[in-house]
Amino acid sequence: MTENTVTLHIDGTPYQMPEGMNLVDAARIYAGIEIPIFCYHPKMEPVGMCRMCLVDIGFEARDRATGEPVLNPDGTPQVRWGRKLETGCTTRVTAGMHIRTKTQAVTKARKDILEFLLSSHPLDCPICDKGGECPLQDLTMRHGPGTSRMAFDEKKRLGKHLPLGDLIVLDCERCIQCARCIRFQAEVVGDDVLAFHERARSLQIISISDPPFDTYFGGNTADVCPVGALTTVDFRFGARPWEMENIPSISPHGPVGENIALGVRLDRDSGGVKRVKRVLPRQNEEVNEIWISDKTRFGHHFTLSPDRLQTPLLRKRGELVEASWSDAIKAAAKAVKEAGNRVGIIAGPMMTNEDLYMLRGLAGHVGSRKLGVWPPNLGDPDPVAEVGIAAGSRLTALGKGDAVLVIASDLEEEAPIWFLQAKQAADRGAHLVVANMRTTKLDRYAGHVIAYDFNEGVDVLNGLTAAAISHRWTNRSALERVNGYDELTAALKGTRQPYKEAAEAMAKARNLVVFVGDDGLDPEGHTALLRAAANFLIITGHAGQLNNGLVPVWPGANTQGAFDLGFSSENTRAMLKNPPEVLILAGAPAAADPAYAALLDRVETVISLTMFHNAAAGADAPTTAVVLPIQSFAERDGTFTSAMRRVQRFYTAHGPAGQSLPAWEAVGLIGERLGMPRPPRSSALVMQALTEEVRLYSEMTYPALARVAEQFPPIGASPDFYGGATRSAAGGTGIAWPSRAEGRGKLTVKAVRAPEGVKPGPGELVISPVRRLYDRTPEFYTATLMHGRIPEPFAAVNTADASRLGIANGDSVVVHVAGAAVHVTAVVDSYAPEGVVLLPLYLSSEPMPLVPLAGTVEKITEPVPAD
Amino acid sequence: MNLIRGFVTTFKYLFREPVTYQYPEQERPFRERYKGRHALKRYDNGLEKCIGCALCAAACPADAIWVEAAENTDEVRYSPGERYAKTYEINMLRCIFCGYCEDACPTEAIVLEHEHRLSFTDRRDAIYTKADLLDPPSDGVPDTPQRVPPGSFDRSIPDMQNPL
Repeated sequence: MTENTVTLHIDGTPYQMPEGMNLVDAARIYAGIEIPIFCYHPKMEPVGMCRMCLVDIGFEARDRATGEPVLNPDGTPQVRWGRKLETGCTTRVTAGMHIRTKTQAVTKARKDILEFLLSSHPLDCPICDKGGECPLQDLTMRHGPGTSRMAFDEKKRLGKHLPLGDLIVLDCERCIQCARCIRFQAEVVGDDVLAFHERARSLQIISISDPPFDTYFGGNTADVCPVGALTTVDFRFGARPWEMENIPSISPHGPVGENIALGVRLDRDSGGVKRVKRVLPRQNEEVNEIWISDKTRFGHHFTLSPDRLQTPLLRKRGELVEASWSDAIKAAAKAVKEAGNRVGIIAGPMMTNEDLYMLRGLAGHVGSRKLGVWPPNLGDPDPVAEVGIAAGSRLTALGKGDAVLVIASDLEEEAPIWFLQAKQAADRGAHLVVANMRTTKLDRYAGHVIAYDFNEGVDVLNGLTAAAISHRWTNRSALERVNGYDELTAALKGTRQPYKEAAEAMAKARNLVVFVGDDGLDPEGHTALLRAAANFLIITGHAGQLNNGLVPVWPGANTQGAFDLGFSSENTRAMLKNPPEVLILAGAPAAADPAYAALLDRVETVISLTMFHNAAAGADAPTTAVVLPIQSFAERDGTFTSAMRRVQRFYTAHGPAGQSLPAWEAVGLIGERLGMPRPPRSSALVMQALTEEVRLYSEMTYPALARVAEQFPPIGASPDFYGGATRSAAGGTGIAWPSRAEGRGKLTVKAVRAPEGVKPGPGELVISPVRRLYDRTPEFYTATLMHGRIPEPFAAVNTADASRLGIANGDSVVVHVAGAAVHVTAVVDSYAPEGVVLLPLYLSSEPMPLVPLAGTVEKITEPVPAD
Repeated sequence: MNLIRGFVTTFKYLFREPVTYQYPEQERPFRERYKGRHALKRYDNGLEKCIGCALCAAACPADAIWVEAAENTDEVRYSPGERYAKTYEINMLRCIFCGYCEDACPTEAIVLEHEHRLSFTDRRDAIYTKADLLDPPSDGVPDTPQRVPPGSFDRSIPDMQNPL
């Protein structure tokens, strides 16, 4: 699209707008004139199927002989109007174009299209989930005929409840065949799971995948549907749209920090209290655009689940029994006081910045520096602070001439929105390089796929860096501010450079974004990989530029926030060697790893702050003395920091589960008993104190986080649901803190080598944990509608390894690793590299290590015991 | 003279029929348009007319109506179509008997009937539930939920005459 500004006349009035934009968007955004649409969607290619956007288009006439404009007698240019109406969505703005949107022909065309659509549309508005936020309803009121010439009872009768997969239900009568859902799946996601079947009046949407509607983004089709043909099983008949309050919030699942709106309403079945009825995306072009993953959309059920811990628990005579808050706090404070500075804290992935700040304050008060992050397998995050993606970057800006590298991460499973955005960047012409030890779905869209052996990710990145150095693809002006370049050059001398083309494409790219995961990496490997990625970004001059930088694919919604506040994965690991006396588990399912389950037994007292009182949170450990119920993200105010370092605020949507308190308040009450000042009275005040103490967060006060950056294109829901049911950005779009590279200071490159890694002994294999989007953690498994989509516990074994071990696809096997025995089904294919078994985390309740270790796989003949 | 005129009037009324009703033994007939307590109506086959669309609740100026909907199946069917009112409550202390709910109802399920004896000793008794409001099925007609042949009630809104 060129950025030339041209003049477009709409109904005789001239407007300035960029050339090449399509008429529907241009008229709406630059002239405030509505051209009604059904099939067009601002995030998808126009197809011109519904014919609702017909307008009268004309051009200024020019004399054929002279090329001079032909003028009317009054001196205005003569316009030659088209003989027929044309679709606005497929026409792009050009110089000298005139359009008319109010002529009789246009009005009649709109009326006729609506009459045609309504001739086979049922009168379902009173029971339809879309009723009240339905473009067909709105446009009929605005442009449609007042009466019908058709007899109502002669309408077609079609299936009204056809499940498309487990999550989406299709009503064939309501469908107006705009193909938005099909195009969303095919164009935006790349999961080609929906299709048209039959033709004409028999045309119907079907699912062509097995299992049906096999995608992580299916819920978005219900949002973009301009009628109520697609509804989600979760929300079906849950409430009318106007009855719900839409509370701005942030997804607690994963590192993306998807902006969402929680639709809450009072609910009789929940005892007359407010609860979340549905989750809708909230527009934020710098984060999730207008899409959310199904995990975020349907994984909200944990917030008021009956499985939640309702009251504090206290160990009395060997048993954990219900206790009052004051007794529990007293006991916790006593334990902390006795331990003095021998207190360790492990903070889980859903702890907010406020919680972490209070935990840090408590540790500081007793003189402890043992601030750990869960999970414990992460490396040193400093490269993110140095060359993390520049504040204000948009992945949507990446296109031709840009490059994206995804290394050691399966983005679809770990951060689905980034998968979608990386895929779309590749569609727009960006060069996508995917490097991993296993195949991932993103490989399909990659310009280069680098398949490396286990633990060789660092070598791959070093090879790319070496290639950039030896071919002088480095950026001279960027090198002036780099420390350690000569040492790096020396250290990389003689490094193999097998991926020269990929290195060239990335080094010469205008913009480069690097996603770094922790797939198959131990902490040292992860540290090295992050540093190696930073080296490449720095020497090629990408670091610090807008739309450039490093994106770590952290496992948690607020892992970045924990790092920013001085927590680290290294501290967690240090506790294994040097166990604290009192261990505070703050939302950390530490017992899910056998080494840490053993740690719980080695410390004297465990204080667990948790939403779910389960084995992973230390329920089975005899040392667990106090268990405090804490609130979920929907019950309180707070902030999460996404892996792109964007601090985003969420708001209280409904009341607490049982007697639970926000974690910061529970920690503050413990601190008060230890002689600390009274805890602040609201999380806004906690954040205020945090901004005064933490330099990175000095801007991040609640009022600042509530500011809304302008969104372009403006397609949040109201006023007429142009881009679907997506809500507008109200509530705040958050603030990202700038990386060091965005400043003027020196940057440092440092040669890194791949660590030793795992050396499996004879007969052993590497057991490498991988993250899956859908798992059986209580934060997700409480969404019962998703159970059918969660895979059974499995381990992916390479074909060669399997034949050597005599394992066939579908066999029950037991994986022995680090003293743990994990019972799974073997999936034998080339998905796993040879010598490596991929063991997805949290699919069963059996503890398993979070880092790759050597282990064995053994076939079992008797059936797997049910858990 | 005035005194006599007064007694004449009194005397005249002695022979007129009295207008007093001996309520509650004797009840006065209601006008057709009188708006009393709501009733939820049924079709002749016993299915509920209410489809749980909550348009009455949206129209209610006093926010007296609370509706929660759920999905019908052919095995457990309360009303025609896919949706029925799982919860239907009217707070009679809030209700101002304006009849907007009646106007908003797409299936003529809610009607303000002539029942006017609404007195409570507890505020909570003022909330009339679906069981209180729903008319009983007529004789010989099964109550809801019903088990119906598949596909026989797929429309929520009954067929209507085009007003033109």
